[in-house]
Parts: sequence; C-alpha cells; structure tokens
Amino acid sequence: MASLITCPHCGRRPKEEFSIRGDAVPERPTPVASEEAWHAYVYLRENPRGTIREYWHHAAGCRRWLVVERDNVTHEVYAVTDARDLAKGGAA
Amino acid sequence: MSLSFTHRHVLEDRMSGYELSPNANHLAVARRPAIFSVLAHAGREAAVADALSAVENISVRTVSPSDWLAVAHVAEAESIVDSLAAIEGLSFVEQGDGQVLMTISGPDVRTILAKCLAVDLHPDVFVEGQSGSMMICRVAGNLARVATDTFEIVVPRSYAGYVFDELREAGREFAMTRGFAA
Repeated sequence: MASLITCPHCGRRPKEEFSIRGDAVPERPTPVASEEAWHAYVYLRENPRGTIREYWHHAAGCRRWLVVERDNVTHEVYAVTDARDLAKGGAA
Repeated sequence: MSLSFTHRHVLEDRMSGYELSPNANHLAVARRPAIFSVLAHAGREAAVADALSAVENISVRTVSPSDWLAVAHVAEAESIVDSLAAIEGLSFVEQGDGQVLMTISGPDVRTILAKCLAVDLHPDVFVEGQSGSMMICRVAGNLARVATDTFEIVVPRSYAGYVFDELREAGREFAMTRGFAA
C-alpha cells in the first residue's frame, strides 16, 4: 500500500496517520430511490484492479476527510483532495 | 482550570529522582501552560487566522485549515480570553488541563525525534515557526519548531506519560535530561 500520502493541508505524512473508510465512487441515492438502488449503495462494491478512489480520514493530522486516488497494483498515488472541496464542486 | 488537575502535574512522579542540571539535550515540561483550542466558523478561516496572529502573548499552532491551538507558557489566561473573545467568527475553549506541553531542545534533537516521528524535520522542509498535528510516539499530538534545534510538543494529558517515557528512552543515548520548565 502507498506508505506516504501528501495531505493537501499537512504535507507528506505516513499512512499510519490515516484511517480508510472505503470506496469514494458510489453516489448516494435519493431517499425515495428503489430498494435495489439502496441495497447496491450500502452492500455492493466493485473490486477493481488499478486506479481506485477512496475516502481517507487524516485522523492524527488535520482531521479532514480526503479523497485519495491511487493505484492498488503499482501503489502510486495520483491525487489527494479535500473531500469537502470535491463535494462543493472543486477541481477533481 | 480545575484545581485538582493543576495541583499536581501528571508527569510529577516521572520527574522525581535525580536532580540534574540540564544537559545540551533537554526535555522541559511546562507546569501550567494555557492552551486554547480555537476554531474558525465556516467561511471566516482567513479573517480569523489574521486576527489570531495579532493576539499578544500566545503562539498559534496549526491543526487544520480552520482549527488552531493557541499556546501560552505562562497562564495569563484572562487577558488571552478577552483577546480571543473579541475576534468575530471564532469559537475557543481552554484546554490547558487536558494537554501537556513539552519543549525538547539540543543539538541531537532531530535524531531523537526521528525515533518516534515519521515526518521530515529538515529545516528546509519543516521551517522555523511551522507547526502541525502529527503522530508523535504513535499518539496524535501537535509539533512546532520554535527554533532550529528546539521543538514544542502538545499531547493529550492521558497519553503524556507514555510519550514522555518514549522520548526519554529515545534521548538516553544522548544523555538527555528532563525536568519542569523554570
């Protein structure tokens, strides 16, 4: 796994400072969406090989949620973005 | 600050024993620091950061873009409370009894800290005056460079004994001394 993550607020930090919540790709369905859509959102996950996007929490640093785009084969980290900026429509 | 917490410092037992004069490498623990946790309201981050830098008698430590620690070695809490309360868009709370402030200094300080810190402390990367929250001896704390060879550490009170023991062990080969700050 990528061992150094460049946090946009704190700089280069070891992965031990972070906790990983999981896949950042699924979109939350609307409250009135079908049961199938909600089941898929809550339980079903792809397990892709290559580039993945995940939510990482910088628990021991700035305590912000980050979206980390990385490769699970080469361990390369492509981008680290504050999840709030992404949610507010910032540059991905 | 509650009296029972300040009456006896959490690291008091670890200090007893040899009465040593400080060596070149020294770990000093502040007895009664005033430490404020400061948060900016949404959208007011830049204005609050500016206003904070103008407050007297405190040094400001970075935690996150909207979150700081205001540290004062000598508790002049009342005047600081007044200054902080005057800043608009800011919430703060005094946490001096819940945090422990230590100063580690000496020519070998970077080698000592490298044993329990995974952050690059080269003076070109972590410059004087810079600070940040990070893992210190596996405890989430705050580290600040106050001079080339002097760092200040803020850790939660309940973990302070462990961090102190780890730092002392790390500093043993450099004959690091420890004591309460005068």
